[in-house]
Amino acid sequence: MLWVDKYRPKSLDKVIVHEDIAQNLKKLVTEQDCPHLLFYGPSGSGKKTLIMALLKQIYGASAEKVKVENRAWKVDAGSRTLDLEVTTLSSTNHVELTPSDAGFQDRYIVQEIIKEMAKNRPIDTKGKKGYKVLVLNEVDKLSREAQHSLRRTMEKYSSSCRLILCCNSSSKVTEAIKSRCLNVRINAPSKEEIVKVLEFIAKKESLQLPHNFAARIAEKSNRSLRRAILSLETCRVQNYPFTDNQVISPMDWEEYVAEVAADIMKEQSPKSLFQVRGKVYELLVNCIPPEVILKRLLHELLKKLDSELKLEVCHWAAYYEHRMRLGQKAIFHIEAFVAKFMSIYKNFLIAAFG
Amino acid sequence: MSDIRKWFMKAHDKGNGNAPKSSAATNAAETAPVKSEQASEDLETGGRRKTSKYFGKGKAKAKDEKEVEELPAKRKLKADSDDLGKSRPRKAIKVDDDDDDFEVPSARKTRDSTPSKKLKSGSGRGIASKTVDIDEGDDGEDAEEKETPLKSGGRGRGGRAASGAPTGGRGRGGGRGGFMNFGERKDPPHKGEKEVPEGNPDCLAGLTFVISGTLDSLEREEAEDLIKRHGGRITGSVSKKTTYLLCDEDIGGRKSEKAKELGTKFLTEDGLFDIIRSSKPVKKPVPERTNKGTETNKGTVKVSAQPKSSPQKEETRGKPLAKSSPNKIAPHSSPAKGKKKIIQSSLPWTEKYRPKVPNEIVGNQSLVTQLHNWLSHWHDQFGGTGNKRKGKKLTDAGAKKAVLLSGTPGIGKTSSAKLVSQMLGFQAVEVNASDSRGKANSNIAKGIGGSNANTVKELVNNEAISANIDRSKHPKTVLIMDEVDGMSAGDRGGVADLIASIKISKIPIICICNDRYSQKLKSLVNYCLPLNFRKPTKQQMAKRLTHVAKAEGLEVNEIALEELAERVNGDIRLALNQLQYMSLSMSVIKYDDIRQRLLSSAKDEDVSPFTAVDKLFGYNGGKLRMDERIDLSMSDFDLVPLLVQENYLNYRPSSTGKDEAKRMELLARAAESIADGDIINVQIRRYRQWQLSLSSCVASSILPASLLHGSRETLEQGERNFNRFGGWLGKNSTAGKNTRLLEDLHVHVLASRESSSGRETLRVDYLPLLLNRLTSPLQTLPKDEAVSEVVEFMNSYSISQEDYDTIMELAKFKGRPNPLEGVPPAVKTALTKKYNETNKTRMVRAADMVQLPGVKKAPKKRIAAMLEPTVESVRDEDGEPLAENGEENESDAENSEEATNGEKLETNLKNLNARGIQVEVDLKGAGSSGSRKAAGRGRGKAKAADAPAEKKATGRGSGTKRKTR
Repeated sequence: MLWVDKYRPKSLDKVIVHEDIAQNLKKLVTEQDCPHLLFYGPSGSGKKTLIMALLKQIYGASAEKVKVENRAWKVDAGSRTLDLEVTTLSSTNHVELTPSDAGFQDRYIVQEIIKEMAKNRPIDTKGKKGYKVLVLNEVDKLSREAQHSLRRTMEKYSSSCRLILCCNSSSKVTEAIKSRCLNVRINAPSKEEIVKVLEFIAKKESLQLPHNFAARIAEKSNRSLRRAILSLETCRVQNYPFTDNQVISPMDWEEYVAEVAADIMKEQSPKSLFQVRGKVYELLVNCIPPEVILKRLLHELLKKLDSELKLEVCHWAAYYEHRMRLGQKAIFHIEAFVAKFMSIYKNFLIAAFG
Repeated sequence: MSDIRKWFMKAHDKGNGNAPKSSAATNAAETAPVKSEQASEDLETGGRRKTSKYFGKGKAKAKDEKEVEELPAKRKLKADSDDLGKSRPRKAIKVDDDDDDFEVPSARKTRDSTPSKKLKSGSGRGIASKTVDIDEGDDGEDAEEKETPLKSGGRGRGGRAASGAPTGGRGRGGGRGGFMNFGERKDPPHKGEKEVPEGNPDCLAGLTFVISGTLDSLEREEAEDLIKRHGGRITGSVSKKTTYLLCDEDIGGRKSEKAKELGTKFLTEDGLFDIIRSSKPVKKPVPERTNKGTETNKGTVKVSAQPKSSPQKEETRGKPLAKSSPNKIAPHSSPAKGKKKIIQSSLPWTEKYRPKVPNEIVGNQSLVTQLHNWLSHWHDQFGGTGNKRKGKKLTDAGAKKAVLLSGTPGIGKTSSAKLVSQMLGFQAVEVNASDSRGKANSNIAKGIGGSNANTVKELVNNEAISANIDRSKHPKTVLIMDEVDGMSAGDRGGVADLIASIKISKIPIICICNDRYSQKLKSLVNYCLPLNFRKPTKQQMAKRLTHVAKAEGLEVNEIALEELAERVNGDIRLALNQLQYMSLSMSVIKYDDIRQRLLSSAKDEDVSPFTAVDKLFGYNGGKLRMDERIDLSMSDFDLVPLLVQENYLNYRPSSTGKDEAKRMELLARAAESIADGDIINVQIRRYRQWQLSLSSCVASSILPASLLHGSRETLEQGERNFNRFGGWLGKNSTAGKNTRLLEDLHVHVLASRESSSGRETLRVDYLPLLLNRLTSPLQTLPKDEAVSEVVEFMNSYSISQEDYDTIMELAKFKGRPNPLEGVPPAVKTALTKKYNETNKTRMVRAADMVQLPGVKKAPKKRIAAMLEPTVESVRDEDGEPLAENGEENESDAENSEEATNGEKLETNLKNLNARGIQVEVDLKGAGSSGSRKAAGRGRGKAKAADAPAEKKATGRGSGTKRKTR
């Protein structure tokens, strides 16, 4: 088993990083009725871990006995019937699903399926809470319609059902939903915290972990605890015992994006743009989410960019990232960003060096 | 370009297909500037005259090109700074250069001052648009410029102008018809390289051509255009009448065989040019004539209202003399006569030349005769109350009391009906769509003063009386119901009433409609004698139009009229109207005039998305009208934007020249516009805002095209310089497939209960480590140890063999080493073996497609199996199905259906709720044997059904279900 999963805290008491939040949550569910919750924060900060621990706190061990199902639903959408397939992760008392998987049909998932689930009271109530929990992942990716349909559901069936929403960015969740939830912000763990966790794991695995090395991993992880642990293990597989200046290999796709960025910086021409398109396609085909690509690409570009251009480039990246969400064919928008960047950079080079 | 398709189909041809092609293409590009150089002029023409050895010639040209390579570059620079004023004189000179080949220099002076007609008509448009985008045309690519008038014809609408017959011939050519023929014909090897000659407009009159195969420099459409312009006729297949078979290479095929059989002469493109050219210097009065011609042309543009200026008259007189070949159309009417006519004519020609005798009706003569017979015998058959019975007997069984004329508009239905009734002395009463034709009021007492329908009823009934009283004196009446298929909303019950009228009618009724098969007329057809009017052929129409033109003193040649007839699609009324309109401004109508006038009514033609993109981004892309651009990009609403997106990088915008930064800027704008198009498209598709489709089309194709149109460049070595097919579709589907595979992996990992991360996290964060754990032992450790370690890891995360492949697939990047590199095949097989071995003793919790026995249609339902924890399983066994029941009301319905299929299954799995098949229970120790057994048996069934399901599922690569013990 991977260390990330092996050392994932199973209960609120064992949580190391966000201890205060964990304690508050514990108080929340033990002392009083649990409200709807909205967890938000960057990936790898421990949202999911907290949610799972919270569920265990509410329902006890049975919350861990989950099963995965791929269920097909027939949804009556006006004139036609839609066949939707939803993967759910459910235990007796909770159901977890990712409605945004259905793409632009997510509205129907919210309107039909979630409502259906929320309506039904749990049968087995002896000694348990009188409600069940729906965990919805990636709420920020829900379309606006879906979010609007969600808010009524939240109010109407609140007696039998609690929603736990989980997302990366709260800015993409409508105000209406935010105000109906208790918002819990999960910060990215600081580097010290990451180092602490890494050393804790090393101790459990009885490994010699040089402090500097741990610090370097934490540095490279971009404050994502998950990534830090994963790369620690990768390093362990590649080379043990650890040395202070051991190579921490980046993720395969990160490497590839860096290559793309290098291409862009090297040559600004239609030909280079064409090659970049091929590489971006490659990334997309390998299931790297387009937002991640764009973000990483910007990151790589900023590294090599003169400071006077940074602001402008960031602006355009944000502009195209927003448009990507409005659109459908991500590659068009990434390409548009790259073209824009090339144009800006080329003009800059010409102005600077003639 | 059609060749793209061919490119795809004949990839194996690459080697030999590519080489000559590209060389030819580069030649085309290189020699273009050369041609404009006076220096190489002689060589040029020498090469041009040489027949058909064009490949050899191409090399020669390339050589010449090197010598003058410096010059064009300089010229280009100059041209860049050039503006409108300059580009024009150069053109004139150019034309002169050309003429030098054939004329004595003495003639030159006069011609300098009077640019030839081609220049006129060409620049008339070309220059006008040039003022709009000056920088565009001045690229110095003179050859292209020269071609402009022709090309825009050849490409812009020449494609559409392809007449029916040649198109048919093309399809049949060589018997290789059908879809695969799409890319059959190659591009002319020296496309656009040659100077297209300008000759006497009638120099080809009376000659009939058939074009076969690829010509040297002209597109098929351009060649057709050229021939037609000079009065020649083009047919699709070779017959005795064919004068020449125009082909540059003997490709065999049906046409050339036939031609050899019939002894038809073969003619190369150069030969054709020579014929056209030679027509010019032979005639002495030509320069003067052209002069006049251009002036009249100018006149038409500038002062179109001015009728009959003196030069025009001269021309009408002069022309018949100039004609070399006997021309049927040559009007011998004196100008005076023509003038008189024009003054007289206040009536529209359609009225004026409405046929007076049946013979004047164009086409459908047999139908007219039929109608005539029917009407003349009507009273013998149905009339006369006295001998009613006898009459009935006389009538043949098929006789109908009414007749239904049908056909497209403007082919003379109403005219025939009126004419025939007039001839037979009937008084025609016409009721058409402008009258209300609802059901007659049942209260007939309202009388004639009531609705029109009542009038009809009255008319139909009364005739009997009036006819009886005094048939000979009273004019006989015929009712013409025009536009019966127009009886709609307002005319409720109109058709039914009409039928009733027919039944009781004492007078003949002629119904006229456009579409006989209209749903509304279904019942009516049974009571009528159907007469289907067909469109007259273009020859028939041309004949009639010639007649009219002659009467009006208009000089039009037959080819032009045939073109007109073709353009109006058989509608003779429209043809006459067009002719009359044109006669207002000119007295000599040429092929080109008709083509220009009827641009808009050009035949619809399917433009392939490739051609559309080609035209949009082509040199003349900037000269297209907006509606043309919209038409092009709308030719395939989905595909064109994708093609644009794929290929826009390849175009070097002619507006930027060498400025790379500017080009990059334009690219960025185009890319943004394409992205805009995507956003609009989402609005259209998702929110059904179809009114935005025009905006989408502008944003996704037209804007990028107008920013970047120019010459196409290749970006990669060895790439053919043709538009690629949109890559998005393929990539998107691969991405979709990989997402599904990833989803399968994700489900398996979730089911292993070791991780609860999302799918994206799995890909972005986990995958590198997973890959590492799955491959690095194989590369480093000894075989057995490695295999067992990997298999153990796979088991802990429920990674199946398919998932293993998925991970390898997803981690593969182009240009990166394969993650499995360096792993000996022996190790791989050992891995598979080991994996399958442990299959039996392993508990994998995996999601799977389950096909239940006896269910014909596989329930499209992916069901996850999961393993219960050993300790609590007994207690949970009861709780869980209940919970499931609570949540899955819907799926229960399905389940019960499935359950009934196997009785055993049902009984055994009752407490497992039929779905228990998936709820795999592993009880270590004794435990509840009942449920254990049930699971076992259910499993057995499912397993049997698994095999086919697995096969089906392989496409998606979903995991197989692996069982306990």
